[in-house]
Amino acid sequence: MNDVLDVTLRLLIVFVVFLAFPLVVGQTEHKVMAHMQGRLGPMYAGGFHGWAQLVADGVKFAQKEDVVPAGADRRIFQLAPAVALLPYLLVLVAIPIGPGEGAVGQAVDAGIFFVLAVMGVGVLGSLMAGWASANKFSLLGGLRTAAQLLAYELPMLLAAASVAMAAGTVSLPGILDAFEWWWLPWQIVGAIVFFVAGLAELQRPPFDMPVADSEIIFGAYTEYTGLRFALFLLAEYAGIVVLCGLTTVLFLGGWHGPWGADGLGWVWTLLKTAVLAFIVIWLRVTYPRLREDQLQKLSWTLLVPLALAQIALTGIVKVVIS
Amino acid sequence: MAPVPGSGLAKGLAVTLRTMTKKTVTEQYPDVQPDLPPRTRGVIGLFEENCTVCMLCARECPDWCIYIDSHKETIPAATPGGRERSRNVLDRFAIDFSLCMYCGICIEVCPFDALFWSPEFEYAETDIRDLTHERDKLREWMWTVPAPPALDPGAEEPKELTTARRTAEKLTPHTEPQTTGPQATEPRPAKPQVTDAQATRPEVTEPHATEQARAAEQPTRPLGDSKQQTDQPRPDREGDA
Amino acid sequence: MTLSATAGRLAAEVTTSAAAETHGFLSPTGVEISFVLVGLVTFGAALVTVTTRQLVHAALWLVVTLGGLAVEYLLLTAEFIAWVQVLIYVGSVVVLLLFGLMLTRAPIGRSPDADSGNRWAALTVAVVSAAALVWVVVDAFRTTWIDLDGPAAGATAVTGASLFQNWVLPFEALSVLLLAALVGAIVLSRKTTPGTTADPSTGKAPTAGAPAKPGPAKSRPAAEPESARARTGEVGPAEPEPAEARPAKAGTGEPRPTAPRTDEGGVR
Repeated sequence: MNDVLDVTLRLLIVFVVFLAFPLVVGQTEHKVMAHMQGRLGPMYAGGFHGWAQLVADGVKFAQKEDVVPAGADRRIFQLAPAVALLPYLLVLVAIPIGPGEGAVGQAVDAGIFFVLAVMGVGVLGSLMAGWASANKFSLLGGLRTAAQLLAYELPMLLAAASVAMAAGTVSLPGILDAFEWWWLPWQIVGAIVFFVAGLAELQRPPFDMPVADSEIIFGAYTEYTGLRFALFLLAEYAGIVVLCGLTTVLFLGGWHGPWGADGLGWVWTLLKTAVLAFIVIWLRVTYPRLREDQLQKLSWTLLVPLALAQIALTGIVKVVIS
Repeated sequence: MAPVPGSGLAKGLAVTLRTMTKKTVTEQYPDVQPDLPPRTRGVIGLFEENCTVCMLCARECPDWCIYIDSHKETIPAATPGGRERSRNVLDRFAIDFSLCMYCGICIEVCPFDALFWSPEFEYAETDIRDLTHERDKLREWMWTVPAPPALDPGAEEPKELTTARRTAEKLTPHTEPQTTGPQATEPRPAKPQVTDAQATRPEVTEPHATEQARAAEQPTRPLGDSKQQTDQPRPDREGDA
Repeated sequence: MTLSATAGRLAAEVTTSAAAETHGFLSPTGVEISFVLVGLVTFGAALVTVTTRQLVHAALWLVVTLGGLAVEYLLLTAEFIAWVQVLIYVGSVVVLLLFGLMLTRAPIGRSPDADSGNRWAALTVAVVSAAALVWVVVDAFRTTWIDLDGPAAGATAVTGASLFQNWVLPFEALSVLLLAALVGAIVLSRKTTPGTTADPSTGKAPTAGAPAKPGPAKSRPAAEPESARARTGEVGPAEPEPAEARPAKAGTGEPRPTAPRTDEGGVR
């Protein structure tokens, strides 16, 4: 029974994190983006600097009518938000936050493959939404989503493979156990490739062609309203949390830090994740959207060669030091 | 061109980061009232004591949004055997702010300084008919008209002051001309436009005041008779009749 | 161990823990029960995949099928294979499939032409190949049982070791096969022909761009169709380019002969 209790408790914690962290990131995005544009951002909801803005948004979304277009494929249309959201919940289970067995929802043996595979599944939600909406803009958004995923899955995998080579394991806690500080400069190219490809996979600006509002309204989510739309948005922000957490674990040493190694490891993980989330927001504010062909070009002609070069470098260094 | 590839990207990041650390430009409007500059065009106030119903404002208005009604009154001769004089009495003065485009031409053309800009801007209404401000309301706006901003040091004296002083000097050569200065630049224009003349020629303005008081007491022509009036006032808003 | 495996293990603990020794057809453990159930679901999804008349639904049922297979791998402790299955098949192959469907035709609702006329032949082939596979597997392993409670037989380290020790040659052969496919794809997608010097990255047929360049200033009505014909004649008939060049010529070259004439008429 203790086993069951343990599993339940872990899942509960992961679930709470899954619900809370995206909101924190979203609120941070509200405020950081506003200040980067010389604005104040939300100031009223909740009283103090609009801290409850996203809660208010959630209430608003919950009150809205759930509309399914007449020509839509009803069942798939309704299923799509869940398919988009749940994978990120699953990924969160496998991300270690601190040293040891106790600080991870579930230690997965083939952790890297698990997280990348499940994250790839999340894109199916967008595809389903895009197709089932019976809307040409949605379909175009779905197409762009698919093209983007196909282009950026490869560099992401290659960059992750580089870390796995360096650590000699594909388990996320195992990678963290093997981490040394000099991996940071060693794997920096891979880290950048991974992060950029992850941004593209999340369809975050400047890689948000699938939801480019000036071209195709809101891409695959055009026809969605109410709670299902909110779920898609939640999936996006959960994706940010997952991507930043993964980059932290794979490339930035997770719970390793200059001091406070025992007991305070989770603080380091959260801190690094937060900094990365800030960078995600920063990039969104700073850069305009890429064009669809520029996006493909960036992946195939820059990221993939860089990732391959990183793998080669990793292999050479690995052979030299062993 | 670009010396280092990617330097443009870094520059962009620097711009946003710098902006983030700077003070925001957002006005917290309903909580904090805006600090409006002088001569802000908020609403037009009517200083009706100055109005002579010359109709210049109504005629110059590009939007035809000023409605003026008046009638003539005969003033008995001031001295026995003198000629009777007639003067215009204002019955209605209304500005339809749903038509007004805030060009300020009426204020510019008014030869008697009866119209003023007020910086008040919070007079939105839920009924568009309420945007037609009648005489009383326009008169109320006068209390919100700020003092004109001080002249630049070394600026030329305003034309009005010069002419007023000349007139004063001509009429009363023995009084010291300096008194007009401070009086003319008296901060509140609610009264001052009259004071210029009043101070120097009290014997002229005194009858005017009594006439105006008498005109106010007397029942005037009911509203809505005028042919030029296009906007019929609603019965419940005839308070200024 | 993953969540599903944990759940399976928890269920297994209730009944018995010694699956390896006391196994048998009539004393199923929790893992075996879930294996069979997931297998049935997978089988059902596979059936729906090939029988449904809605194309995109077929692709989505394929996701269920492949995911079910991944769960089966998990239940057999082959974690690495399971996640690779999800990564490659669900994450990439099905997405590519959906991409292709959406790009070409993906109507909502049934497509009546989705059925092939030779479905019985297809069914026969399917049944025969399934029977062959089942026979091979059953014959190869017979009553060999995977010890689910010991060290995971399908863990990443074990899989890697056996892959690069026992199965290196097939692995490399497969790599070469994939490489050949990759090179073939690149060769097929390149449009350059000996006669023309087009930038392959732009993806534009040179003949489509060339007639537009001369412009109305120097183009003589009589010379234009001739040069266009000469250019298409240059290209070999087997190349994919003429197919694209001809409509391009029809689009850009056709109106040109008339345009200068009206121009000249206007001058005179």
